Amino acid sequence: MSSGGRKIPLRVSNNKAYVWDIDDIAALRAEHHICGVLTGTLPHLSQQNVFLGPPLLLIPEEVVLLVDKHLAVLVDDPTAHRTPSADALKAWDAERAATANQQLVLAEAKETSEKAAKLSMSEEALRKRQEREEKRAAAARAKALAEGEDVAAPEASGSGSIAIPTAPVAQRPSTPTPSAQTASAFTVTLPGSSSDLSWYDSQGCTYETVADAQAAGIWTYPADLHERAKCRVFRDLWEKGNFMGGGVRFGGDFLVYPGDPMRYHSHFVATVVSSPLSTIKPMEIVAHGRLGTATKKAHLFCGWDDEKQEVSYFSIEWAGFG
Amino acid sequence: MDDTLERPNVVSKPVDAVDGDDEQSSGDEDQGPDWTKLPSAPTARPFIPKRGEKDFEPNASGGSGLQRHVLDRSRHAMLEALSAPRTISSKSISYAVWHPDLARAHVTLSRGIHFASMGHSVARTASLDSAKKIHKRLELLPEETLYLVERGAMLCWKACELAPSDTPGLEDVEGIPMTVQQAFAEMIGTADLTLEKYQVFAYLKRLGYAVTRTKPPNPEYPIPPPFEQPQRRYQSSFLHKVLSVVLWPLRALQSLFVPRFDWWQPIRTSCLHGAFNIRAVHHGLCRCTVLCVGLGHLFQSLRFLPGGHNAPLHVQARPRAPVSPYQIFYNVYKPSTPFKKTAPPPPEYSVVVVNARTTPMPTLTELTSLFGVLPELPPPLPRKRQSFVQQKAGTAPPPAPAPKTQLPPSRMQRFFPWAFPSTSPPELPRNINPFLSLKTGKKMVVVAAVDAGMTSFFRFGEGVFTEWPMVL
Repeated sequence: MSSGGRKIPLRVSNNKAYVWDIDDIAALRAEHHICGVLTGTLPHLSQQNVFLGPPLLLIPEEVVLLVDKHLAVLVDDPTAHRTPSADALKAWDAERAATANQQLVLAEAKETSEKAAKLSMSEEALRKRQEREEKRAAAARAKALAEGEDVAAPEASGSGSIAIPTAPVAQRPSTPTPSAQTASAFTVTLPGSSSDLSWYDSQGCTYETVADAQAAGIWTYPADLHERAKCRVFRDLWEKGNFMGGGVRFGGDFLVYPGDPMRYHSHFVATVVSSPLSTIKPMEIVAHGRLGTATKKAHLFCGWDDEKQEVSYFSIEWAGFG
Repeated sequence: MDDTLERPNVVSKPVDAVDGDDEQSSGDEDQGPDWTKLPSAPTARPFIPKRGEKDFEPNASGGSGLQRHVLDRSRHAMLEALSAPRTISSKSISYAVWHPDLARAHVTLSRGIHFASMGHSVARTASLDSAKKIHKRLELLPEETLYLVERGAMLCWKACELAPSDTPGLEDVEGIPMTVQQAFAEMIGTADLTLEKYQVFAYLKRLGYAVTRTKPPNPEYPIPPPFEQPQRRYQSSFLHKVLSVVLWPLRALQSLFVPRFDWWQPIRTSCLHGAFNIRAVHHGLCRCTVLCVGLGHLFQSLRFLPGGHNAPLHVQARPRAPVSPYQIFYNVYKPSTPFKKTAPPPPEYSVVVVNARTTPMPTLTELTSLFGVLPELPPPLPRKRQSFVQQKAGTAPPPAPAPKTQLPPSRMQRFFPWAFPSTSPPELPRNINPFLSLKTGKKMVVVAAVDAGMTSFFRFGEGVFTEWPMVL
């Protein structure tokens, strides 16, 4: 969990910043007090919205803060996915086939040993049979490996005349070793993060500052005074040791937590007022006071003064007379 | 992952329970999920644990030992759950090839229940050597592709110039394998898909809804039959405007000579009408009803400004206003609806997706144009008290009454409404609660406001106050 001065890469596409690696998500939360919002489907609990999984989507103020504090860098994600060479693809495919083969062999060995255990009652016969089965399994493994490569070659010459990748589906073998185990299934692991791919390379498309990323056209926030004010208020509250979350459900810009939102309730709903000259209508005060009280929070008006570069805070609560 | 586990009803109950909790305790709305209660490994029957309790604040100096321990445990559980790999049996995995130039994924092998509500067939020309051949193939929109990739049901290749399947040793590789990360980076932003729209799509799909696009992205995309649109009564056509300009001096002249319109005249007729009825059925229980009808007419004839949503707006959209972000994007169907993807039924919900950070509240013109393309809904049925057994048995939804088609009034009726007092008495079933109907409105649109991953769904209804005079 220790990032040790390592800058966390934020993958930027479509003006949004994502974090894909679990270690990075952990480091952001534990070391930098940045929570983000998990936005992806959890693969093994895919029909609900309470628990979500990677990617972690960062709100723009979090991104600006992390980059300004030199804790993270911005990576142009579509560019970083390079086109792999044929050799890289081959290596990827070989690894995939090896994993599948390993699983199949294991499954077969298990099945045969189970069968054997049922058939023979005496211990010695069992032991002998197991030895034999193991030998056979090893032979099968070698054979399968050899076939996996051999079978491939003639098929390639056969399908070489078809130029498009949309060849009839049935032709494609469903398992890499179609000889013996057409019936047995194996588990495919689908890749989530791109960091492990040999053709993922963030060199040349990594930006150290927000200005650089803006110049490169991959990031726009903050674009005006209000967005700048939001960034600075966010930063100020964060520097005071708070955890911050989005406040859209409570009619504010941010929620301010005294500790990790996983364990603690928020104390404030914060609204950013971008200039000391902007007006606040009395109705807003009533509405915020009512909502804050009803949700056991205080409402926080955070005024940003762009000239003095400082934030002033005012909290609103029902006074509770009568 | 087995198909039996993917059926939404497996987990629908616990989800409801969680939501119910939220409604009751508005003070704890920011309660996060408690990751420690999540089963770490995929179990036979996935379930959703209840939300955990939170503390008010950490003790001074970064929390007590217990608080730190509990926090560490929660974080560990979360990371454990997040790092679970996307695994699927080789027998249930689907394959597709993503074509960035088309912004569509061509499904080369489709398996599983997802394709019952996703994907459409498109005829594409494939140049086989020299002869051009048209053949139909199953294609997915970017959001559908991304959703299947993300939940670990499909491996998506990215089409590239050098076809890897030609190279020896790579026959079953149809392109560059795409990670979920690459799919997020490259599919969002194509074919009008924004991250907000994808998040709403995935949110509803995870709950089991069938979600399709309202505006067909290509001609082959199946859409529901158009609504039967009842005519708006006051179509302010060009001719109408010209006519009113021409007639204006005439009207002004008329008002000089003819004494001012006696507003009491129409009421007298209708009052007499009502009074007569009251006298006729003085005895018996019907009296009250007749009185009400009579009073209803009274109120109707008192109204000398056109009211309700049939009257045209006085506010006009600015001529060079940018395209409104309030456009219906998704048609949504409940999981229980029999859904045929080649001939989708009329949608149960129409969903607009907006970015909560950049989009202001809808204006009157925006709402009016939204409701202009939506059908009128039947009045809400009164809630019946049912026994648990009846509820369990699954009552079939009662047939929706056909929308009443009113003939547009003739010119005589339009100019002298008081002369035709009883053309269309508001014959509404007696047992409808007007407040329920007022609350529901006649037309409904759902607006999903997304702020960086947090989605709030709002329901906008077109009020029907003119149709429910409060004289009962």
